[in-house]
Amino acid sequence: MNSRSYKLRDIIFIALIGIFCGAIFFLTDLVYNFVSAALAAIGLGPVANDLMLGLWMIAGPLAAILTQKIGASIFAETLGGFVEMLLGGQFGASAILAGFVQGVGNELGFTFTGYKRFDKFGLFISTITSTIVTFIWSLFQAGYAKYTPAFLLLLFVVRFISIGFFSGVLVYWIQKLVLKSGIATRAHSHG
Amino acid sequence: MIFASFEIAFTQSIWANVYLVALCLVYLIPTLTPKRIAWLLFMPVIPILGTWMSFYFHGTGDVWHTSWLLSTRIYAYIFLGAIVTFTMPINNLLGSLEQNCHIPSKFVYGTLGAFNFIPRVTQTVKQIQSAALMRGEVLHAWSPQIFFKAVLISLRWSDDLAQSMQSHGFWEQQKRSHFDTYPMPLWNWALALVALGGLQAVVFSGLG
Amino acid sequence: MSKQLTVKNLTFSYETDSPKILDQVNLVLQANTFNILYGPSGSGKSTLMKVLCGLYPEFAGTIQSGQVLIDAQDLADLQPGAIVKKIAFLFQNPLNQFAMTTVDLEFKFTLENLAIPKADMAQRIEAALGQLHISDLRYRKIDTLSGGELQKVALAITLAMDSQFIILDEPFASVDLASRQQLLVLLKDLQVNHGKTILLADHDLSGYADLADHLYQFDQGKVQEIADFGTVFAKFQHFDQHRTFPLPISADDCVLNFKDLSYGTGESPLVQNANLPLLQGKMVLLTGANGSGKSTLFKTLTRLHPFSGAIYYQQAEIRKIRPKQYAQKVALVFQNAQMQYLRLTLQEELDLSLAHAHHPEIWTPAVISAQLQALHLKGLEDHIVYQLSGGQQKKLQILEMLIVGTPVLLLDEPLAGLDMASIQVVLPMIATMAAKQQQTIIMISHQLTGVLNFFDYHLALADKTLSYQEVLAYQSIN
Repeated sequence: MNSRSYKLRDIIFIALIGIFCGAIFFLTDLVYNFVSAALAAIGLGPVANDLMLGLWMIAGPLAAILTQKIGASIFAETLGGFVEMLLGGQFGASAILAGFVQGVGNELGFTFTGYKRFDKFGLFISTITSTIVTFIWSLFQAGYAKYTPAFLLLLFVVRFISIGFFSGVLVYWIQKLVLKSGIATRAHSHG
Repeated sequence: MIFASFEIAFTQSIWANVYLVALCLVYLIPTLTPKRIAWLLFMPVIPILGTWMSFYFHGTGDVWHTSWLLSTRIYAYIFLGAIVTFTMPINNLLGSLEQNCHIPSKFVYGTLGAFNFIPRVTQTVKQIQSAALMRGEVLHAWSPQIFFKAVLISLRWSDDLAQSMQSHGFWEQQKRSHFDTYPMPLWNWALALVALGGLQAVVFSGLG
Repeated sequence: MSKQLTVKNLTFSYETDSPKILDQVNLVLQANTFNILYGPSGSGKSTLMKVLCGLYPEFAGTIQSGQVLIDAQDLADLQPGAIVKKIAFLFQNPLNQFAMTTVDLEFKFTLENLAIPKADMAQRIEAALGQLHISDLRYRKIDTLSGGELQKVALAITLAMDSQFIILDEPFASVDLASRQQLLVLLKDLQVNHGKTILLADHDLSGYADLADHLYQFDQGKVQEIADFGTVFAKFQHFDQHRTFPLPISADDCVLNFKDLSYGTGESPLVQNANLPLLQGKMVLLTGANGSGKSTLFKTLTRLHPFSGAIYYQQAEIRKIRPKQYAQKVALVFQNAQMQYLRLTLQEELDLSLAHAHHPEIWTPAVISAQLQALHLKGLEDHIVYQLSGGQQKKLQILEMLIVGTPVLLLDEPLAGLDMASIQVVLPMIATMAAKQQQTIIMISHQLTGVLNFFDYHLALADKTLSYQEVLAYQSIN
């Protein structure tokens, strides 16, 4: 998995990661959904949305660090949007567009490291770039520009925490497990 | 469609959104059952209400306009999405991408093959959760283990699937024939242009 | 042009410095012959076959030396599309054969890959399906087909590709006995009447005596032709055996109870209206043909598969028990050991099970140490579980699930990857520890020799009916 070009197997792998992340999102933790429903009910819907965002975006950084390929984040996140659409997300095909924007945000972080740092540092930079990029997108697309500055700050901080945890810390933990277990090198040597 | 999505992300026109929803309805009503249409209309009520209220309470400037603008925009997105989702099976969509947009076939069929695993993926996630419960552990969306298992299984399946596709003759650089073709007829383009033109008219007429 | 497949001094390993899986293999497959490759499972037969059809080294490993020649052309110089027109491969797990969702789509995908003109496709598909008498399967969904049907479709696709050589890797592993016979007849017909060359790997040689032209033995990375194969086939003659079990009499101490239990896959029912109890503290052997729905029964019992009717755990219907609680009552030893792991090292895995043990007083350090010793796992405590061998992984999985000690423990083919010596350790361990913890054990096993003494009852799944049976008829190999 070190060559930069995509092989069929890499494409399937990234797509499967995107699908698994979507399925995990839909099948685990109703607690999370309850929290967001509660927040939405008191007029804090966007806060819930921002709190969830990081969870949506795991597939991108995960695909990037595992395959170390250029464009893996964008591909995985766009597919993630596709999966959201298929598994019954309410935003239909526009989820694909959102996924693409999230992927670009993620990808930029690794681009800034010259695609050399697929570690803690690269992940950290990518949480920053994806928070900024998706936030700019929300300013226009979700009309965030119309919010009061205090509410905006709240949203930005919540979003950074969510992306920082899910797409940063959690992905780092997963990477550690994968490296320690040695499955990535063993997977291709099964008879 | 992608263009229209981008455009409404930046416009301030409520009527542009309404125009798009109406346009989509015209397209969808003959193809979908009334139940589906009703579902599309009523399912998003809660998030839209949430959006509406949050702008009403936390917005600046003309909160009425903003609330309605963003709420109708969600509807516009949902209906634009529905056009793709409900009128085109995934095979056709990807086939069309391969034939009309010349996306390399390895991306098209790699993705399609993986998508065919969706039922198995959801089954497997349930199995992972229940296997963990049998050992006394609850796996959450923030548990690294559940994602680690997903990686483990994705590695194996991607290897298996790539081998199965190759064993049926699939090869990245090779020219393929096509049983089903998805031509983009001229009237499709013309229709899209007229619809987009209408959108521009609404946006710039200052109706919003 | 000589139509033959030649392997010359082929040496293959997964890593440059890892052991040679194939060591100076020489083999010539003559056109229009029926060839059997036999050897123990896990010995590297699959590796050889994947090299022969060009999947390896493309997907794994490296050829250290030697070559594979098809019609005097080196396989390494051919593109996959060109290879499959000559050599087709059938996977051990037929589900791994298909990338699309229906038979029809898989055919079209394949023919498109080979750049067959659209005008010829329909005729090729119909002819291939017709030749194997499975035209009715054309529009079926892949995941509703049985193991036997899947292998027939896979074979039909090789006909549509018009491949001269057909290589089959343990093709009957998930195929019932009747379908196995049908498939063998079809294969022989393809060889005799349609000029195909067959190479089939199996670990069980029964039923081949009248079919095979050549028999090759695979052992320790080498392939050797056995000239006098009649004597080898004779060794694999099956002997009919009988074994009688008592039937459960009282249902007083019943732990699970089925009331009109039915389940199936897709449209086809697997079990209809089962009514029976499972008694506390008993060991039950579950038998049935491949694909009859034994594994699905276990998924049903662990609420991973939908069912109609009712299943009672003691007095409560299991759908009314909270999943977290129910998982502490009825647990499953999955076929895939890695499904069960949650930690990285063997010791961490044991500690996790101990933390949730129902009877921690039984599992003293001395007991665990003795079990590890017996299982030959002692000294591996710091090893990463994913790096253990298949057999070690399975033994650890069984031990850690015994430690949890749920009232009901289901074991899906736990003996499949184990050698006889390991089985002789694992089974007594299950029996003793289950008795101490008063567990009910239900085990699926195809391995019956040396196993039966441990069980109290025999539960059989046949003709969509689940019932206790007194007589277990089985075949043993000399």
